[in-house]
Amino acid sequence: MSFPPSASGADAVPATAGGARAVLDAARAELRADTLRGAGGRAALERYSDRVDALLRQIYAAAGEPPSPVAVLALGGYGRRHLCLYSDIDLLILFSRSIYPAEERFLRGLLHPLWDLGVVVGHQVRELDDFRTLETDNPEFLLALLDARPVAGARELFDRFNDVFHTAATHAFILRSLLQLIDERHGKFNSTLYQLEPDVKEAPGALRDLSATRVIALLTDPLLLRRGPADPARFDDAEDFLLRVRSTLHLEGARNQNVLSHEQQERAAEMLVYPGAEPRIRVERLMSDYFRHARIVSRSLEWARKTAPVPVGPNLGLSRDGIRFLDPVQAARNPPAWLAAFQAAIDHQTDVAEETLSCIQQHVDRYRADDFFPQPADRAAVLQLLKPRPGLYDRLSEMHDCGLLGRVFPEFQAISWRVVRDFYHKYTVDEHTLLAIRNLERLGTTEDSSRQRFRSILTGLPAPELLVLALLLHDVGKWRDDDHALESVRMAEQVVARLQLSPEQRDIVLFLIRDHLKMSLVAFRRDTEDPDVVAQFARAIGTEERLKLLCLMTLVDVEAVSPETLTSWKEELLWRLYVDAYNHLTQRYGDELIERNQAGLDELLASPPADLTAAEITAFLEGLPQRYLQLFTRDAIHRHVRLARDIKSDEIHISLEPNEGVWTLAVVTLDKPFLFSNICGVLASFGMNILRGHALTNPNGLVLDVFQFTDDERFLALNADAQKQVRRVLEDVVSGRSEVTARLRGREQGVLKTASRFAPVVRADNEASGRYTIVDIVASNALGLLYRISRVISQHGCEVDLVLIATEGEKAIDVFHITKAGVKLTQAEQQALTSDLQRTLEGTA
Amino acid sequence: MKMIKAIIRPNKVDEVKDALSALNIAGMTVTEVRGHGKQKGHTAIYRGKEYNVSLLPKMEIEVVVPDVLADDAIKAIVTAARTGEIGDGRVFVMPVLESHRIRTGEKEA
Repeated sequence: MSFPPSASGADAVPATAGGARAVLDAARAELRADTLRGAGGRAALERYSDRVDALLRQIYAAAGEPPSPVAVLALGGYGRRHLCLYSDIDLLILFSRSIYPAEERFLRGLLHPLWDLGVVVGHQVRELDDFRTLETDNPEFLLALLDARPVAGARELFDRFNDVFHTAATHAFILRSLLQLIDERHGKFNSTLYQLEPDVKEAPGALRDLSATRVIALLTDPLLLRRGPADPARFDDAEDFLLRVRSTLHLEGARNQNVLSHEQQERAAEMLVYPGAEPRIRVERLMSDYFRHARIVSRSLEWARKTAPVPVGPNLGLSRDGIRFLDPVQAARNPPAWLAAFQAAIDHQTDVAEETLSCIQQHVDRYRADDFFPQPADRAAVLQLLKPRPGLYDRLSEMHDCGLLGRVFPEFQAISWRVVRDFYHKYTVDEHTLLAIRNLERLGTTEDSSRQRFRSILTGLPAPELLVLALLLHDVGKWRDDDHALESVRMAEQVVARLQLSPEQRDIVLFLIRDHLKMSLVAFRRDTEDPDVVAQFARAIGTEERLKLLCLMTLVDVEAVSPETLTSWKEELLWRLYVDAYNHLTQRYGDELIERNQAGLDELLASPPADLTAAEITAFLEGLPQRYLQLFTRDAIHRHVRLARDIKSDEIHISLEPNEGVWTLAVVTLDKPFLFSNICGVLASFGMNILRGHALTNPNGLVLDVFQFTDDERFLALNADAQKQVRRVLEDVVSGRSEVTARLRGREQGVLKTASRFAPVVRADNEASGRYTIVDIVASNALGLLYRISRVISQHGCEVDLVLIATEGEKAIDVFHITKAGVKLTQAEQQALTSDLQRTLEGTA
Repeated sequence: MKMIKAIIRPNKVDEVKDALSALNIAGMTVTEVRGHGKQKGHTAIYRGKEYNVSLLPKMEIEVVVPDVLADDAIKAIVTAARTGEIGDGRVFVMPVLESHRIRTGEKEA
């Protein structure tokens, strides 16, 4: 925007200075006259504020075209249009962009004329972007901003300011600060309103308390004062009275003075036309009025402080009866906020207020499922809500009762009050479903000693919300009378699509629903002493993660059938199947290798991507454990095949990809001693915390290691060429050009040596697998743990063929499949290895 | 009359029930029980730690049959519940002195 220097503020002012002076004088004369009549209250002050607005607009216009959009905002008392005769004129001059010399010239053009007029201007100058960070060191300013009112300039800039400034976090901060400021201020007055010479602005019960009460309502519940101890009209009267008194003080003192001293009380009583033969009587009447009004203000403030909902999210407050919408009209138009209300109730361990439930019930029919989670963040919020935590069942029940659950999940509506008669179920299908979720929620905190084994499975789950989602939908197919599991899957597919779950999440949820009866069938009706039965069951489940989920699902589902259904006898059967299947999945999978013509391969080999042939894929897969096919998606398998292409000795091919804070590293190379420990050592040297992983080796010595880890030191996030560096270091270490021990030296003293927080478990077993000695290790998770374990194994001359890596919270659970010179370890070798490992893990090695 | 009490594998209940039905023996009591015989349970290992499962979940089936049917019933149970492995269970047979139908007060000797 061009800015002709001739129109700059400094030049323009003299032309209007006389006019401005006249406008200000006239406005003041009018307020003086009002005050002298005892009418310097709200109406008069609003009139005066309007005249000052006009004056400012005049000066703004005279200051010329600003170089970039600017808004002049009235703050504090002036923003509320309660400007008194000698009050400071508090302004915010808000620029839309950085302040350059042109802006500064404009600013001078605006402020100099005001100074010339002799008014006291309290001005703040900010750029819009300044409000993106909260000025926590200036709570008074933030409070004044709540009253911001556009006086001149770009209205659109004011709207943008509102968008940036008014956030839940800011409101919460201001509220906290305000409560503190009130306490400090009251402290100065010995916390009593009964002052003989009260300050009508600052004293308890005076004007500041009055606006504080309004601010508390504004920030928490705009309708709060309607339910307060005083009629809102009396509250308004108090304000008018206090302002009328303040006006007399300004007039008499000819300055910004607010103490109603004994002397001033006589003058004020006179101006406010109190009857009485003597000044003493008039003063008494004035002061009795003062205390009456101050008391109303004081009580309202105390009541507001006690009753106001605490802001806990956008348009959400925590009040005594639970979570409420602060503005129900706005909430009615914003269905994602409804789910937020239930989340807030869970977070704060409270209910959703009855009033809020009614509001939802009243409007719920206007919305369709998609309206509740239009954005990715809203969809993530749905999953977050489903995390099993105390209160989840109660909230879901409330959601169901007010019709929300059936709107968010119309599939669930189909089983509302559904009665299916059989010999076992005692509740309607919907309630059975919700009870199953309640059982899971309770399992998370149960102290029942017999349940701790199941509880620890739950605690270790990375995404228990998927289990809850599966539970919610597992019986929706019961709206029909035939095979309900398949119908439930069909219906769940719609939910999964609406929530846009990732392929992995989708697979888990649909698997759980499809197979939700499988584990109880095998545990209670099959001969689980037969290893083939267990093996077949384990193969059908595929991975430990699924097994854990299905085990818990079975437990809570059976428990929700009736109070008598889940006996400790059944729990025992379920647990034993879990353990047997878990052992099968972690210890025996090395015996089941992928063979050419294997069932299931056809599907994978059909229509491979353009750059891969079926032969190449088969060659890669052959000899890997069958489990591999269940662990990885088609795309991941194709990626691994590409990595394996043309791999030569000492070469290392990697792919490294982030996904929601977790990185996946796939490494393909050819086997050699210390390989696994070297790779783990490199990851530890970059501070990476390995969460899960698999090391696989095929009979030709091709190694595929896949690690999922968090980049705790943000090395990958902060360094542009980080991936290249990781690749280079891996290559150097694997080819023997550099030593991983040297890289780790700095860390050896610190984390690597940290002793285990609980007694580590090391156990070697020659029975479980036909080909391998299995070493099970459970230890405190620590940086470099895998490196240390696998190094000891390699130092014992063992080959690390397969490794399963898992973490559950603080606990690392690793299963190594090892051999020595191609065969299982002897008893003595096992003994020597496990003792060494034990010492290493105890930090005594 | 004889009371036959069979301790069997949980997964064999349906087969035993079917076998008894085939002999027109319909009334029975089925209880979830735990115990061990010669099998004495075994040690299971979970994540490297041993835990004892000395009391194994079993099912107990009780039927009362006329003397003439007792041998067939025992044979039916044994056949249906057998896997040939340790832990298949036991069948106990006891004499029953009399039985009273509560609804009618009718006595059967």
